[in-house]
Amino acid sequence: MPANRSGVALSDPAWMRWLLIGTALAFLALFLLLPLVAVFAEALRRGFGAYWAALVEEDAVAAIKLTLIVAAIAVPANLVFGVAASWCVAKFDFRGKNLLITLIDLPFSVSPVISGLIYVLLFGLNGLMGPFLKAQGIQIIFAVPGLVLATIFVTFPFVARELIPLMQEQGSEEEEAALVLGASGWQTFWRVTLPNIKWGLLYGVLLCNARAMGEFGAVSVVSGHVRGYTNTMPLHVEILYNEYNFVAAFAVASVLAMLALVTLVAKTVLEWRFGAELAATRHK
Amino acid sequence: MVAASSTDTAFPRAGGAVTSILRKPSVIPGFGLTLGFTLTYLSILVLLPLGALIAKAGGLGWSGFWNAVLTPRVWAAFEVSFGLSLVAAAVNAVFGFIVAWVLVRYSFPGKRLVDALVDLPFALPTAVAGIALSALYAPNGWVGKPLNELFGLKVAFTPVGIAIALTFIGLPFVVRTVQPILEDLPPEEEEAAVSLGATRGQTFRRVVFPAVLPALVTGFALSFARGVGEYGSVIFIAGNMPGLTEILPLLIVIKLEQYDYAGAAAVGTAMLLVSFVMLLVLNLLQTWMRSRHAR
Amino acid sequence: MAIQVSGITKQFGSYKALDAVDLEVRSGELLALLGPSGSGKTTLLRIMAGLESPDAGSLQLNGEEALGLKPRDRQVGFVFQHYALFRHMTVFDNVAFGLKVRPRGQRFGSAEIKRRVTELLELVQLGHFADRYPAQLSGGQRQRVALARALAIEPKVLLLDEPFGALDAKVRKELRRWLRKLHDDIHITSVFVTHDQEEALELADRVVVMSQGRIEQIGSPADVYDHPSSAFVYEFLGQVNRFDCTVEDGVARIGNGALSIPTDPAVRGAAIAYVRPHDLGVSPAAGGPGRISGVHVVGPDARVEIELAGLSLEAEMDRERFGALGIALGDRCAVHIDRARVFAR
Repeated sequence: MPANRSGVALSDPAWMRWLLIGTALAFLALFLLLPLVAVFAEALRRGFGAYWAALVEEDAVAAIKLTLIVAAIAVPANLVFGVAASWCVAKFDFRGKNLLITLIDLPFSVSPVISGLIYVLLFGLNGLMGPFLKAQGIQIIFAVPGLVLATIFVTFPFVARELIPLMQEQGSEEEEAALVLGASGWQTFWRVTLPNIKWGLLYGVLLCNARAMGEFGAVSVVSGHVRGYTNTMPLHVEILYNEYNFVAAFAVASVLAMLALVTLVAKTVLEWRFGAELAATRHK
Repeated sequence: MVAASSTDTAFPRAGGAVTSILRKPSVIPGFGLTLGFTLTYLSILVLLPLGALIAKAGGLGWSGFWNAVLTPRVWAAFEVSFGLSLVAAAVNAVFGFIVAWVLVRYSFPGKRLVDALVDLPFALPTAVAGIALSALYAPNGWVGKPLNELFGLKVAFTPVGIAIALTFIGLPFVVRTVQPILEDLPPEEEEAAVSLGATRGQTFRRVVFPAVLPALVTGFALSFARGVGEYGSVIFIAGNMPGLTEILPLLIVIKLEQYDYAGAAAVGTAMLLVSFVMLLVLNLLQTWMRSRHAR
Repeated sequence: MAIQVSGITKQFGSYKALDAVDLEVRSGELLALLGPSGSGKTTLLRIMAGLESPDAGSLQLNGEEALGLKPRDRQVGFVFQHYALFRHMTVFDNVAFGLKVRPRGQRFGSAEIKRRVTELLELVQLGHFADRYPAQLSGGQRQRVALARALAIEPKVLLLDEPFGALDAKVRKELRRWLRKLHDDIHITSVFVTHDQEEALELADRVVVMSQGRIEQIGSPADVYDHPSSAFVYEFLGQVNRFDCTVEDGVARIGNGALSIPTDPAVRGAAIAYVRPHDLGVSPAAGGPGRISGVHVVGPDARVEIELAGLSLEAEMDRERFGALGIALGDRCAVHIDRARVFAR
């Protein structure tokens, strides 16, 4: 946190303070708060009954389930990857390390639509591996595996990019101490490394999960939009909206908005509570 | 004396090929395992599919590629996507800086809540943001209606709407890159400036702003890059009129729906190329600024 | 347990950290590896622990080749410079760690672990701190936890990397004496790394002076201080006056003959002479060759700066003796050298 800023020399005049605070708050209210409020207002426009009906409707339930399934596969996969990647990047010095870090971050700079497109080009019917997959009777695009792959791609760097700076900052001394004291590699990881990175890990998983459940562009391309089968919640929102079924669309959207709020609260709590431990990831 | 040969087998913790890429041998185990897994996972899920994109676009040949990319419709979409992303990133640079400044320098009731709210665009699914903004700025929406009645300004289904969606999506990038730099700015530097006779405005212009500028440029670049690729929050509010409010990612989706895979790949590749070049330029600019204001 | 280091060489990129180092650590002794940063002392210690592997050479622990052994199989205790305490574990769990991670067959029951840890915590005088976390301890307390943790696995050798480096001066002195006493009680073969000559000279049975990846001298503290075997050791151990000189016929002449020192006749031509400040005598002499250019009284000592034939000399004596001399700033004086060493260039 900043050093004491209360010095007389650095305090701005009150009119300026309040002008700037007012500008910032007005901007945030207009751009962030209002859309959030609108989601819930629109969802409840026809009362709670209509709201609830939209959520328990068959296709909505299927979409919620599918979203959970996709996240339940994609998030653990990226969790394991993130831990492995940050272990080898943070604990060792090897040729091509910077290139590896850049490649890990690559999916963040690719448009979600392109993230879906690349899997269509690889696994789609007319794709590079399409004929082979068809012969084997495997369907990836317009099916759940495609949704999982696209979701893994867009959430690929989340865990790794939280853990790499954290583990780099913590160094390897505690691990060395454990090894000298007789611990095996796995014992060292479970008993020393993991407890030290757990909050950073949770932070990364939280962000990864929020994106995995909310991803729209990438899954939209690979989904095929088959109601009840390949529709995740964000895709279901789109379909309902395009059918002018606004109340239902905003009802499903409100569930996603609540997920976002829960994520923000959990994230904020983590930052307040373990701010010092997470400092490496937040201020890199 | 035991010769060097004994040390080759001293630590049989990783295969010879793996140890040879290590710059410095280490007693920590698991290098071969984690690097192997990382590279495999990365190759299958990221590099191979991206390779498929380049291969597909490359299959068109030079002339085929340019023919697919240089149609008026694609060109217009490029202008819409890149132009409006620049506008949004510029808006975010100004207001994001003010937000970061206010959050770091001033205290006011509800500050922590506001701080947390800044990350909303990261957490809120883009489709949700899209329909919410669309409903707000529609001609009969909470904001759209007064704007239309008072100023005759139409937002939804015009480029202005796209810029608003891109501003929403890009705001946290600026705030979150500028904020830590402002926090870490030593107050002594400003006090020194004041003690040397500088006014508050001079102190800001000559001491604070140059120190924060590289971060501001980074935030601007991230916000811009995010805007170019953005899809979910834009398509609902855009109206999607070819040549006017049609963004690049949507054009890719349309080409895919028409089974024009090669065309989609060509546009996608071009988009990646332009984004990378622009990010590269901004990165160089930033490195240059950092080297001037090394701290 | 004795340690035999032979021909150990270690290169980091183009930088040679250790250059064919030979060293014997005797069973039960307390040995100091002393040198400036970059002299290779920490690397040598880490090689003994198995935390680094050398490029060439051999390492024997009690006569058995140990380089192929993993750290966990070497039975060494290692105390890290910044302690490397497990920050998420209590003091008790830190000390118990080495016992808890033993393979199932060799592991003690929890009652036995508790007994041993408690005993160790008593030994390092931290019995009341078992439930604290490392962050709640002072530097000196952390240091002792690190020591107890290293001793818990009943190591045959104790290796300490700059054990007092992170402590403030007063705590450092106390802990130093305490560690010496502890070593006298348990007699475990111990090697510690330090860049502080006072620490090495006070604490160790034998001192190994290192520079640029090589061993300069091995000997008892008195030995290395009184009879430095090289110019480096002379300069590194304690304050010293250093003069360029020329040697002819067994006499080193300093400052065009203003001072002369009898020396080993084998040395000829350009050389360097070293004189410790307390081996430099000053006496008041009107019209003498020297002039007092500075006087600093620090606690019980007096340091006197002298200008002589364009040279700047420093003499040191106790305050009483200085008072008895009755000299003041600007006075003329004579200088005589009680003891010096001359090394050929």
